Amino acid sequence: MDAAFQQLMQLLLNGIAVGCIYAIMAISVQLAYETTGVVNFATGQLVMIGAVVGASFALSGRLGVGEIYVMTLASMVAIGLVFAVTVYWPLQSRSISTVVIGTIAVGIFLQNIALIFFGPLPAKGFSPVGDSVLNILGVVVPAHTLFASAATFILIGGLYCLLHYTSIGIQMRAIAQDVEVARLMGIRTTLVLAFTWALTWVFAGIGGLLLAPLWLVDVDVGDSVALKAFAAAIIGGFGSIPGAIVGGLLVGLNETLSAAYISTKYKDVLVFGLMIAFLLFKPRGIFGESVNERG
Amino acid sequence: MTKRLEHKLGAVILFLALMGGAAFLSDFDLRLAILSILAAISVIGLYFAFGLAGMIHLAQAAFVGIGAYASALAAQQLHVSPWIGLVVGVIAAALAGALLAYPMHRTRSHYLALTTVGFSVSFEVIIRNWTSVTGGYDGLGAIPLLRLDTAMRSELEFFYICVAVLAACVVAAMLLRASPFGRALIAVRDDELAAAASGIDIARLKTKAFILCSAYGGLSGALYAHYGGFISPDDFGLARAIMLLSMLIVGGEFSILGAIVGAFFLTYLPEWLRFIGGGYMAVFGLFMLAVLIVMPKGIVGSLGAWLVPRVARSR
Repeated sequence: MDAAFQQLMQLLLNGIAVGCIYAIMAISVQLAYETTGVVNFATGQLVMIGAVVGASFALSGRLGVGEIYVMTLASMVAIGLVFAVTVYWPLQSRSISTVVIGTIAVGIFLQNIALIFFGPLPAKGFSPVGDSVLNILGVVVPAHTLFASAATFILIGGLYCLLHYTSIGIQMRAIAQDVEVARLMGIRTTLVLAFTWALTWVFAGIGGLLLAPLWLVDVDVGDSVALKAFAAAIIGGFGSIPGAIVGGLLVGLNETLSAAYISTKYKDVLVFGLMIAFLLFKPRGIFGESVNERG
Repeated sequence: MTKRLEHKLGAVILFLALMGGAAFLSDFDLRLAILSILAAISVIGLYFAFGLAGMIHLAQAAFVGIGAYASALAAQQLHVSPWIGLVVGVIAAALAGALLAYPMHRTRSHYLALTTVGFSVSFEVIIRNWTSVTGGYDGLGAIPLLRLDTAMRSELEFFYICVAVLAACVVAAMLLRASPFGRALIAVRDDELAAAASGIDIARLKTKAFILCSAYGGLSGALYAHYGGFISPDDFGLARAIMLLSMLIVGGEFSILGAIVGAFFLTYLPEWLRFIGGGYMAVFGLFMLAVLIVMPKGIVGSLGAWLVPRVARSR
């Protein structure tokens, strides 16, 4: 197998892994948007918090990988609930743009609090599969890329089941359709919304945990990561889980391949160029929401 | 009537006293005041785009940057006077605004916010890497300064120039707000559906508001370039765009005075919070949240609501 082909295969696998992680983040963005109408501009900082909290649990040394994951995600649930109580509820009755700007403020706060507690150095990523590499028919890839992809598909499958086959998932979808009617039907919307915010935080946190071994994740990574998540959500189509997957993969592959073959410097411009083109000419994305825009 | 005249006279005297007092300020204080005024000019632009037209605009810093680079390059490469440079900066920013706003007129709400974010980040990446024109990460230096050749200290002279420009901008903004264009915008802000039903072309109106906003941004950027003589990509990124929008919200998104108060407040805040050190931005984030939750109409709106009944009662 010649070197160029081997390189291409490695890039593709890498792009898919990164794309899967973007898909998870895009789903985090979409969950919040679908049920509350709010585009969460703090998503990138949540991803960052997931990564650095995970890394600091790992640094403490005594915990197994499973425990690190569980404790990190428990922290994310806790912060998500704090957010729902202190930011979302007071602003709930106000215009959507106020809440959106509230999430920007939360992002600024989280990023700088993280800077104080964790310092400016990048978090050392850790992976349940360690640093091992696999050799698949001559193509050498880090095992973590396969782990990240597999984890993504399990998570998304789980989310699909949650949304369609459990009571709370069906209540979430009811709220997404119409929060007033859902309330009239006896759904305790406050509880379900709190659950949704916690889930949003958890998905972003998982994105951070999976991303850290691939990249150097420092406290400033938030904005650029959030933009990739938004790009994935927009290209795939807001409000569609298959859209998030396809969008995530497109953004991940676009980024990896254009960095290798076109320009490292302009790789982000290519991604955002694609996003802006979709926003302007096909704002519903590939799988697009069919109806209303709120707010 | 005489009371109003008295108020106006009082305001004029206060203004003149402030301007005279500026002569005794140190260069450092004048610098902060100048930066506040430059911010205020671009935030007045946001008053139209966000305050009135309701567009979450997260790219104003990029338009400030377009104004700054266009004006600086015109002065450096074409050797035009910095005064002409200001005009070039405004036109360049307005054109860029039109280019972005025209296709954007179909996208709304969160899509619009995300489009501006994408534009903001792309702009920053491009000026960082288009080294042959923009100087890349190092920025552009040795930009001709805007001078009147008076005997005053350069900071003081530029301060007076800025005050004059800000005053012109405020008057223009007030006239625009009172014009049919401004009234239509206010109608749209109050009820978009009702405004559309009464025959207002909302997409067109919002496009105009966006272009106007860009022009204000361009003017602010061009002044900035010819003030310090040095510009770099750091000043025109997404973080700065967020800061500019925050200024409007903190000051009061529904008033021109709010735009100015917010710009001054958030330019001075880092100085006041200097004793906190590195945690300053974390406090800033909390502060923003507090303003959003406790003062929905910003400093000006809330203070106004608190003051007006008391003043009225005391009469």
